[in-house]
Amino acid sequence: MAKRDIPEINAGSMADIAFLLLIFFLVTTTMEKDTAYIRYIPKKIDIPQPPPDIENRNIFEIRANAANRLMIRGEIIENPDDISDRVLEFYRINRSLSGEQTKSLIQNESYKGYEFPFYSRVTLDQIVKEIDKNEKDLERAEADEEEDFVVFYLDLLTKWQKKEQAIKMLKEKELVEIHPQAHIRVVVQQETEYKLFAKIHSEIQEALIELRDEAAMKYFGESYAKMSKRLDQDKEDKKGDGKKIRAIDVLFPESIIEVKPKG
Amino acid sequence: MSKFRKENKKGAPGVNTSSLPDIVFMLLFFFMVATTTKESDPTVDVQRPQGVSATDLTPYKQRSEIDFLYIGEPRNKKRAADFKLGHALFLDNVAQPQPGDLYSTNSVADWKLDKMNTKPSNMNEPISNVITCIKADEGVPTILIFDIRDALQDIDALKIAYAVEDKSAF
Repeated sequence: MAKRDIPEINAGSMADIAFLLLIFFLVTTTMEKDTAYIRYIPKKIDIPQPPPDIENRNIFEIRANAANRLMIRGEIIENPDDISDRVLEFYRINRSLSGEQTKSLIQNESYKGYEFPFYSRVTLDQIVKEIDKNEKDLERAEADEEEDFVVFYLDLLTKWQKKEQAIKMLKEKELVEIHPQAHIRVVVQQETEYKLFAKIHSEIQEALIELRDEAAMKYFGESYAKMSKRLDQDKEDKKGDGKKIRAIDVLFPESIIEVKPKG
Repeated sequence: MSKFRKENKKGAPGVNTSSLPDIVFMLLFFFMVATTTKESDPTVDVQRPQGVSATDLTPYKQRSEIDFLYIGEPRNKKRAADFKLGHALFLDNVAQPQPGDLYSTNSVADWKLDKMNTKPSNMNEPISNVITCIKADEGVPTILIFDIRDALQDIDALKIAYAVEDKSAF
């Protein structure tokens, strides 16, 4: 029997197939990203101080018990997805009041926003005046070498300087600020699962981002999330996002207190 | 006799493979650029909880401004009883400690300070700005998170992050 030649297979189109596969996988793969909620631990205080008196209206308390049930401001909540709406309400309800309305409603117990934080309005002139005053106080404290006061006035001064920056960035006549003590308080118990704890933070973040996005769109025509992402990636801040973000943060500060469960 | 002779002897010409290295290099470069390396393989099981609007940590990772610690049930189930509330802590680049030390808040502070010392020299953020990312399992009791927070507060490492799986991306 004669030996027949096995014909060579044409592999010319193999490269096409390989490219097709490569491009398909390039397009469809998503790489698992590390994502998280960034929070700040308060600085340790050496001398324990009595907690300051805070009005109930300025506390947004979220409690979670050992059985993973939730309570917001004394009210049992079944669905954790409701937290973000409640946080939004907490920030928004009194925000649009004018100065006179605030003055008249702050004492009015029948007003629906009575149990919510009120806003204050300051003008640039007032801020500049405060900065001047604090600078003088600081100088005096430095001259007297009273370290505690120096730290105190320095703190105050930076706070007012931030406000000055913010009002200039926002180009507003008045800076509308939430009560400085207004905060979100997360109270958990020892056995509360991390899943619920993370859910609470997720809901808080969702609400905060919504508020900040709204303000950022209004003042700078760009979303807050986009700006902060760009700032994260570019430490040198070539696009000047840092200033914008700090201005929005003055409007909607992220004040969250996480209370350590007692053991 | 025909004018056109069948050229059945020639067969198909060989494929020119000289561009194959180009393709392979392209692939190689793609993966080199796109991958971030995992610090180490944890010995605890972590199923991250889900959340929305979380911050992407990739830029921090690229600048080494973040350290990860894992907390969950140990893979080796027999050892679960050795740890507080059955959940173990996994700190990367720590020589395997004694079972007793493995979950102890002291080791968190030592680990964090050690991490700070081994950072690349161009990283000069103060410790209060270097994030400590806690990757905790869904079922971890939160008291363990607060224990870690206390340990970090003592050494002024004040920026922390709670890892979640971001489902808002889809």
